[in-house]
Amino acid sequence: MTSSSLAKPIPRVSLNWLLIAQALVIVPFALHVPVALIVLWLVCSFWRIQIFRMRVRMPGTWIKSGLLVGTAGGIYLARGSLIGLDAGAALLIAAFILKMLEMQNRRDALVLIFLGFFCIAVGYLFEDSLLWGLFTLLPITTLLAALIGLQQSGISSKPAATLRLSAKLLLQAVPLMLLLFLFFPRLEPLWSLPQPSNKALTGLSDSMAPGDIAELSKSAELVFRASFDGPLPPRTQLYWRALTLEQFDGRRWSQSSRAQVPDAPLWRREGERVGYSVVLEPTGKPWLMTLDVGQTDLAGVRQMSDFRWQRRRPIEQSMLYNAESWPDAVRETVLSDGARLQALQLPAKGNPQVREWAADLHRRHLGTDALVDALLSYFTSQPFRYTLKPPSLGANSIDDFLFGSRAGFCAHYAGAMAFALRSAGVPARVVAGYQGGELNPDGNYLTVRQFDAHAWVEYWQPNVGWRSVDPTAAVAPARVEQGLEQALAADEEFLGDSPMSALRYRHLAWVNSIRMGWDNLNYGWQRWVLGYQGQQQLKVLGRWFSGFQAPVFAGGAAVILGLLALWLFKPWRRESDSQLRLFNHFERLLARQGLKRQPGEGAQAFAQRAAEQLPAHAGAIRDFVGEFEAQRYAGADGSAGALRQRLKSLRRSLPWRLSAVRGKRP
Amino acid sequence: MIERFEPVWQRWVGRRIPPASRVELDHRRIFILPTRVGGTYALILFLLLLVSINYQNSLAYGLTFLMLSVGVLAILHTYRNISGLVLSGGHARSVFVGEPVQLRLRLESTGHGHQAIALGWDSEQLEQTDVEAERLVEVGLTLPALKRGWMRAPRLRVESVFPLGIFRAWSWLDLEQTVLIYPQPVAGTMPLLQGVQPHAEDDGHATTGPGVDDYQGLRLWQPGDSMKRMHWKAWSRGQGLMVKEFSDLSGHDLCLDFMALGGDIEERLSRLCYWVLELSQRQQPFALKLPGFLSAVDSGDAHREDCLRQLALYGVRA
Amino acid sequence: MGRKLDACLNAINEVVLGKEPQVRLALTCLLGGGHLLIEDLPGMGKTTLSHTLARVLGLSFQRIQFTSDLLPGDILGTSVFDRDTGQFTFHPGPIFAELVLADEINRATPKSQSALLEAMEEGQVTIEGATRLLPDPFFVIATQNPFSQGGTFALPESQLDRFLMRLSLGYPARSAEKALLLGESRRDLLPRIEPLLDHSELATLQQQARQVRASDALVDYVLRLVDATRSQPQFAYGLSPRASLAILSAARAWALLAGRDYVIPEDVQAILPAVIGHRLRERTDPTGHGGGALVQWLMREVPVL
Repeated sequence: MTSSSLAKPIPRVSLNWLLIAQALVIVPFALHVPVALIVLWLVCSFWRIQIFRMRVRMPGTWIKSGLLVGTAGGIYLARGSLIGLDAGAALLIAAFILKMLEMQNRRDALVLIFLGFFCIAVGYLFEDSLLWGLFTLLPITTLLAALIGLQQSGISSKPAATLRLSAKLLLQAVPLMLLLFLFFPRLEPLWSLPQPSNKALTGLSDSMAPGDIAELSKSAELVFRASFDGPLPPRTQLYWRALTLEQFDGRRWSQSSRAQVPDAPLWRREGERVGYSVVLEPTGKPWLMTLDVGQTDLAGVRQMSDFRWQRRRPIEQSMLYNAESWPDAVRETVLSDGARLQALQLPAKGNPQVREWAADLHRRHLGTDALVDALLSYFTSQPFRYTLKPPSLGANSIDDFLFGSRAGFCAHYAGAMAFALRSAGVPARVVAGYQGGELNPDGNYLTVRQFDAHAWVEYWQPNVGWRSVDPTAAVAPARVEQGLEQALAADEEFLGDSPMSALRYRHLAWVNSIRMGWDNLNYGWQRWVLGYQGQQQLKVLGRWFSGFQAPVFAGGAAVILGLLALWLFKPWRRESDSQLRLFNHFERLLARQGLKRQPGEGAQAFAQRAAEQLPAHAGAIRDFVGEFEAQRYAGADGSAGALRQRLKSLRRSLPWRLSAVRGKRP
Repeated sequence: MIERFEPVWQRWVGRRIPPASRVELDHRRIFILPTRVGGTYALILFLLLLVSINYQNSLAYGLTFLMLSVGVLAILHTYRNISGLVLSGGHARSVFVGEPVQLRLRLESTGHGHQAIALGWDSEQLEQTDVEAERLVEVGLTLPALKRGWMRAPRLRVESVFPLGIFRAWSWLDLEQTVLIYPQPVAGTMPLLQGVQPHAEDDGHATTGPGVDDYQGLRLWQPGDSMKRMHWKAWSRGQGLMVKEFSDLSGHDLCLDFMALGGDIEERLSRLCYWVLELSQRQQPFALKLPGFLSAVDSGDAHREDCLRQLALYGVRA
Repeated sequence: MGRKLDACLNAINEVVLGKEPQVRLALTCLLGGGHLLIEDLPGMGKTTLSHTLARVLGLSFQRIQFTSDLLPGDILGTSVFDRDTGQFTFHPGPIFAELVLADEINRATPKSQSALLEAMEEGQVTIEGATRLLPDPFFVIATQNPFSQGGTFALPESQLDRFLMRLSLGYPARSAEKALLLGESRRDLLPRIEPLLDHSELATLQQQARQVRASDALVDYVLRLVDATRSQPQFAYGLSPRASLAILSAARAWALLAGRDYVIPEDVQAILPAVIGHRLRERTDPTGHGGGALVQWLMREVPVL
């Protein structure tokens, strides 16, 4: 495109599609940018349409700069900064909106279209679900339609045809895109960039008051999905460790400062190995979910002193990792003094009843295991209740719980048990994570949601190391064996706060099968599309095209382009006009002899003239034209070969030397 | 540098795309290269790739690859849009020097449609048109007529950036269009043949064309006026170049004579041209005398065309 | 059959001297089943040509001289009260002949003109409520004086469209005119001409003409021609589909006359001036002629192959 054509006005088709594309790009951003921007967009679109209808004029320089400064200021006020991905995205969108207003010629429209593509890519950083991915095909198609419309010559073009062409183009591009997606090497990030901040993520946090996990159980939000290499382990073994809480202040359990030390503990593999892969949704927290004792070779991830796995950066986008675990591993038979002190830490005072009771139990039961059994049997023997809505507790919360209300959620039980163990001098800590999950039979994978959040206890003995125990299992075995819904008493409504959740209607078979199917689709999307990075790519490529990646890629691209070219040009369609091509050849032969077909001269008339001028070759000329006419007009089924044969004999009979006359004008 | 390569390029194109009155654009005649917009497109792709890599975002990768594929496909589509188009030059009407020549070009689709085909003599000024499938479209292009005689239209640039504008497919065709350019008519006194006059003494109906019989007065000198009629006295008095004007009272056929004029050849031809047109408009029979050519005394369109042709080709025919 | 056609041509050319192309076109027109319009000055041999055609093809012949006071009844016929039977009997007009020469058609009023033209189109006439079939075959050769002559009612375009061809005979060549002057009166020759075809043979020939092959490539050429008239600026209006049909049927008949069973572009070019010359108008001059120049333009500019 030359500079002059870039300065031309924008064709109507292009403008129409550009306005629609802008709406499609911006509306989904409503969740991620200040609302004022949406208002700004509405105003600007209306203004632009009015300009197009010649009702108002283009904004002047002052208005434009005012708008620019105003918008930037607004974003600064709303986001507190102009740096960072959030503010950057807002600025990008603002530029996208304001550019529309000052768009006059094709160059401006091009800038707008390219900005639009960029906005879509930035949108992917905030949202990458399957539905979103599918939805963005709409703005992509319309933006491409606007780009095509920009090249069209104007008045007669129909908008629908332009969109169809754009969709066709995209459809044709899909095979090549898939090939590139499969083979293009995924590089490590070249430099670190501001990450999108996911606001208001629910989930486990690094401290836990007794009611926190009960609060979490009201949410059916997805936490992660896991599929196992081998058979699914029994449900009672599915304790997904997130982090440990070792510091107790009398009310809250929280992460100790020691837990931040990246000091991999000693442990020994024993028993069966369990291999699995997890697609973790964004949590805003750095820890990964693993079964005990987990191991993963994911880059940028370390095992911390409490066996949890932690990434350097918080998980802001869904990520896929492979892990393996040894549930029967022996963990940390020797405990350092610091760790030991931390595992025995108790507030100076409070809960005197428990302390006494525990000390008493310890005296009566020799050995730690017996003590634990005694504690568990206390939970089973006494009328403890498993409930989402425990009564509120007093200042000595554990006393009140163990000897008073006797009603609580897993956090109450775990906290109380860890407190009791510590009081008895046994190093112990609370483990927070998830337990169980829902098996999706379609995809044979486990879906773990927020209401699967759980807390249990670990205690340590010399030479044995850490052992896990779950007091909740003693109180409400159904929680561990079947899940939260089954464990709750009939009068407590599962997911009472979200009446629309499909999970509430699991008992309806068709709702459930649709839900499962959809979930399966999403999981596949996450695993095979979003998770197709680094190692996953190497694994897939290694398995399918081991050693032949480059030739397979090159060959694939060539085949795809070749097929597309065939489909586009349809060379077989032109075969029928081989007659005409041969006739053109014939004309060129005679043109060398200074004989040119006049405009409007038919084949026979030309042959007649040629035969008169070249009497020596009249026979060959008539022969060729006769055959040409027979094939073309008389419907004789002669082949192109027959025609070519005659042409050849004519060429042989013509004197080659006369070709020197070629340049001369008649 | 570019100027130095121009003739090489011209010669190469001349060999590759020989002149022909009817040309179908095919792979031998079509060139394709990215445009500046294509460069911007590549830059955007690069930026998108950086975003994808740095955020390790599969969807962004997907978008990057989709747009890359679309870009690659655009080569095929741009080429397809222009290939198969058949161009031929139409008949062009002769004009006078200084007027624009209207050259008609026919664009014909032999299969699929062609959109946004731009035509012109240079890449800055192009006419755009669409050719629907199996249709014929005629486009008029203008060229300034600068010189008398046969004018050969320069090579025609046909190009299209459709559909995406990131690639340009173009060709550079010589459709063998030639136009006869007549001299520019310049008004002045009628250059009549001196001396020998046909004897038809008519019944007193007198032509008041310029002539030699009656002195009419003085007027300013114009290029092409005969030296014989210069009013030298006025010039010597410093009044500028003046010419004595006479009118002709004869009623006989007129003969326009090249030798009756002064000035250089082009000026004389221009004056003759003016009078050929003028007399034809009056439907007055006349003859035209050029060195080596004498037409019959005649009137009518055919005679006028013949005379104009002689004027146009005087001295230029090889 | 082919030989018979040649014989017909020769027979006509013996009477109508020096007009071979026009005679051939006229015969083509009749073979193609169309009506013929001859436009020329009086005395150029229009009547002789039509009369000879009728004789050679063995057709009954009637001539209607169109004048400004001609009434439709004079063409179609009227019912006359018969005193003997006490009933109206129909006296058929001159139109009930197989070949009708409508002489100087543009001198009659539009009303009379349309009576003839409707009969041409329908192949039947309706008089006083009764529909009467015209004979089969039924040809009309109409002649008209050039527009410039006074006292004429020009045929509207819609009526012109009903004639398959329009011919103009023109002045004879010098040699032909000399032969004409030296030889016998043409009128005297006429009764001596023997019919060379009978009705069934004529019908067979017409049938054969319809079956002449027009290939895809050829139809494409016709379409290109028609398209050009519809898209090019110099044409006041494009050709109708009836005109494209006319081109094809005339080209078929021409090919048959040339002894071929398929049409080639040259056939189309041969009949094109006669078939579409009267259907085209130049944009700058929508009333006058100029059709001829347009046809020449078409034949020169529209790609043949």
